[in-house]
Amino acid sequence: MTALAPEATGPDRRPLRFLAFGLVALIGFSGLTARLVYLQVAQGQTYATLAATNHTATQSVPSARGLIYDRKGRLLVTNVPSFSVKVRPADLPLAVRGEVVAQLASLLHMDAADINVAIDSNPGSSFDLVRIAQDVPESTARLISESTDSLPGVEVSVESRRNYLLGPLVSQIIGYEGAITGDQLARLKSSGYQPDDLVGRAGVEQVYETQLRGTYGTEEVERDASGRKVQVLSTITQAQSGDSLELSIDTHTQELAQKALEWGMKKAGLKRGALIAMNPQTGEILALVSLPTYDDNLFARGISGKAFAKLANDPNKPFTNHAVAEHYPPGSTYKLVTGTGGLADHKITPTTRLITRPYLTLGGARFWDWNKRGFGACSIMCGFGHSSDTFFFQVAGMLGANRLAYWAHQYGFGRPTGIDLPGEVSGIVPDDAWKMETLGQPMFGGETYQAGIGQGYDVATPIQLITAYSALANGGKVMQPQVVRRVIGPDGSVVRAFTPIVQSRVHAPASVLATMRRAARNVLLVRHTYNFVDMPVIVAGKSGTAEFGLRDSKGRLPFHSWFVGFVPKDPHKTKDDPTGLKAVSRTDAQLAVLAFAYDSQTLGNAGTEIAKYFIQLYFGVKHDYRLPQLLRRDNFYQVSN
Amino acid sequence: MGVLSVEARVSDWASKSVGAVWRRYDLQLTIYTVLLGAIGLVMAYTNSVEDGSSVLDAGSTFLRGLMWAAIAIVVFALATVFDYKWLKTFAWPIYFLNLALLGMTLVIGDGVGGSARWVALGPFTFQFSELAKILTIVVLANYLAARQGRLNSLVSILGACVLVGPAWILVMLQPDLGTSLVFAAILAGMLFMSGASLRWLGALAAGTAAAVPFAWTHVLHDYQRERLMSFLSPTPDIQGAGYQLYQSLIAVGSGGWFGKGLTNGTQNQGKFLPVQATDFVASILAEELGLLGCLVVFALFAALLWRVLLIGWRARDPFGLVFASGVGSMILFQVIVNFGMVIGVMPITGIPLPFVSHGGASLISLALGLGVLQSINIRQTRAEW
Repeated sequence: MTALAPEATGPDRRPLRFLAFGLVALIGFSGLTARLVYLQVAQGQTYATLAATNHTATQSVPSARGLIYDRKGRLLVTNVPSFSVKVRPADLPLAVRGEVVAQLASLLHMDAADINVAIDSNPGSSFDLVRIAQDVPESTARLISESTDSLPGVEVSVESRRNYLLGPLVSQIIGYEGAITGDQLARLKSSGYQPDDLVGRAGVEQVYETQLRGTYGTEEVERDASGRKVQVLSTITQAQSGDSLELSIDTHTQELAQKALEWGMKKAGLKRGALIAMNPQTGEILALVSLPTYDDNLFARGISGKAFAKLANDPNKPFTNHAVAEHYPPGSTYKLVTGTGGLADHKITPTTRLITRPYLTLGGARFWDWNKRGFGACSIMCGFGHSSDTFFFQVAGMLGANRLAYWAHQYGFGRPTGIDLPGEVSGIVPDDAWKMETLGQPMFGGETYQAGIGQGYDVATPIQLITAYSALANGGKVMQPQVVRRVIGPDGSVVRAFTPIVQSRVHAPASVLATMRRAARNVLLVRHTYNFVDMPVIVAGKSGTAEFGLRDSKGRLPFHSWFVGFVPKDPHKTKDDPTGLKAVSRTDAQLAVLAFAYDSQTLGNAGTEIAKYFIQLYFGVKHDYRLPQLLRRDNFYQVSN
Repeated sequence: MGVLSVEARVSDWASKSVGAVWRRYDLQLTIYTVLLGAIGLVMAYTNSVEDGSSVLDAGSTFLRGLMWAAIAIVVFALATVFDYKWLKTFAWPIYFLNLALLGMTLVIGDGVGGSARWVALGPFTFQFSELAKILTIVVLANYLAARQGRLNSLVSILGACVLVGPAWILVMLQPDLGTSLVFAAILAGMLFMSGASLRWLGALAAGTAAAVPFAWTHVLHDYQRERLMSFLSPTPDIQGAGYQLYQSLIAVGSGGWFGKGLTNGTQNQGKFLPVQATDFVASILAEELGLLGCLVVFALFAALLWRVLLIGWRARDPFGLVFASGVGSMILFQVIVNFGMVIGVMPITGIPLPFVSHGGASLISLALGLGVLQSINIRQTRAEW
């Protein structure tokens, strides 16, 4: 360290500082080692457990959903494998979401808005998968699953989807599945439902969701940090396939019903209609058509928001089962209630004749008969046969609103029939209590008159009406209508056999019901329903024309038309019984039929024409009894009550 | 005078036999370095094992690791052959080259979340702040060597700080808190080992400590504060800022005595650890090779540091000693902070584990530093001490 030659000088070595450096290193490494020993040896077991739970998860294994058959064993719904595209929102960075959604939209030919709605309405957490597309073509599915880099958070999975083999023909009965909602998930989570599950949303898919779904299995899987399944480690519980349903519907009968209804609606230019065929002894629904309808395969393939909105906003409500989920004024078909009540309460006897004038006056108002003339002195046979309004105004007046309501309830009006389809409404049977509650007044006399002919406050569903006429036909048993006959287990065993369910009984003497059945036969015999009586099949029933809505410029109201009736076990006329009155006296009816034509401004009764055509097809009647000229569109209310 | 002495030394060097040079070559330093590098490649390998792709697929971590290792060997050899005395001549150009590279990184660099840390070089990226550590050590060693004998003065110490300042600020601007801390550690280590006044060093340390509250509020970014806080928090937020540490502790703890075996780490294969090939590579090491693997790595680092300091001790000039101190400080600091980070005793700062963390810039900078040390060693005046 001399000033002369600093370059040649050696470095200023300080052993203590080297020692200090070494000491720092020693302390550092000792500290790290101590901590490692603590973590890896002392706490090793705890962390090993944490690592195990970190990368394994229990995951549910979907079960095969039950199939659906018709009563003859024809397959209506199957499961087919299909590709679904799902998104895990947590893995989709917000910054690139717009880009990814746009790319998916063009790959899947979807609206970007639909994808965004699907992601945003995710009922689970952001770590749960959200299904955004179903039934994706294999080539597209491969393309998407190979572009994980450009499509972060997007996954493709193979799922089974529903294939509705007959589509719109039975869509109102079968329904469809849809993505589980947040509310449903909260309710069903304990039953093993997953955030990306589908649940029945309509029809028997909804009502029999539990049976169809089966039980999901569970398996332990290895997963990575993003929750992706790496491999299955073990199966904890096997998935149990769902039960299958056997409908009471006969597909062939359903086709005939649809054919008849479509014909009538087309001829008369109708927007809505319903046709029901039911076994009046058991309550089995053989056919149930509600038009307009939709194709449930749209949902199985993943309906676009646009297509859904179009159907949902259709004023004629294709998603609504008009036979069950809507009520309408029943019109003259309701005279069954008034007549039964009058007879059973001894207000009239089967031979009592009431004078039917052109109109009745009550409190200064005139209550006109539909033909504006009346039918002279009339018994129940004549009054029901010609559908005299003034006859039933008088009977309703004798009964009073509350007794009339009592007999309506006896036939099952004013409460759901209990049919195994969703969305059933109750209808309204007005009485003093109901009116006090709703409008704060008792029933007025004129309102009771109206109630006696199925107008005013009266509303009923088609399924209630056919159930009531079935009760008439079977001797007073109000049957619970059923569309599912049996529930069959995955191994073919019968889980639930068919049992007819008697909801209640009409507490009227058998003779009263027999009189009403003969009166219903008389409707045809007096040719109130034109040539219906000429058909070689004995039919008893009642037509109805029910005003609704607002008067047109000429003061006329639009109206619906109805026909509801039944066919005895032996439908053939015999020498012994040329009129069929004996046949309908028995309680052995084999078939009940209802046709409903919404807003049918026709010359004749569209409901009657549709029901007649259906019966003609059902019994294979060769001669054609249709009268298409009666379906000319016009308002001839007074002609065809 | 300088030119003359250089010429004299060159002839001096030329007159020695290859054998004599070889005898002074520190084989141990090379062996420990190669072994640590090999462990780095093993870690790159296990991080490349993934379903459906080969570890030798183009662009895999392992393949890139191999490539960088090959380049590092060349750099090491060249630096060994190169006479380190020339570094003194080129100290100022190196100083400005260093600042230029860091400045360029700020302008054209890329990084996560708006930071500027890497510069793309064709298909590869390079982190010049890693190279800056070694270049700063060169410049600082030159400065401190020149001021030997005057190191008791505050001016010398402040001069060293001013010299490091611009590079430090450029790194902070990226922002790269970890590397800037390494700069501080290098500066402190070199000042200490060069014989700077303990009194002034103590005063400087006290001043730095006093500036911490200011830096906390004005210099640090939110995420940096969050990471530092989450390290201090007794119940970390395992879904948020504490996620990395939580997953790292699981990886380390579940490794046990002997580890789960190479490529068998569930935390590794499940990709539970972020940046597991780089900053968190020690978690994978601890998970798959266990406590035993970690102790082997510690032993190699300790041995390497021993050789580095020995070279500094034997150096024939102050430059050699101070340079060795710089490299030693850098390695020691990075090992302790990186390892401490993955086991939850140090905050998460993004400092790589030398040799083991995947990263070309880090490996090449280390190769350069150790090559220069080797160059110092074979040019020492005495063979014993």
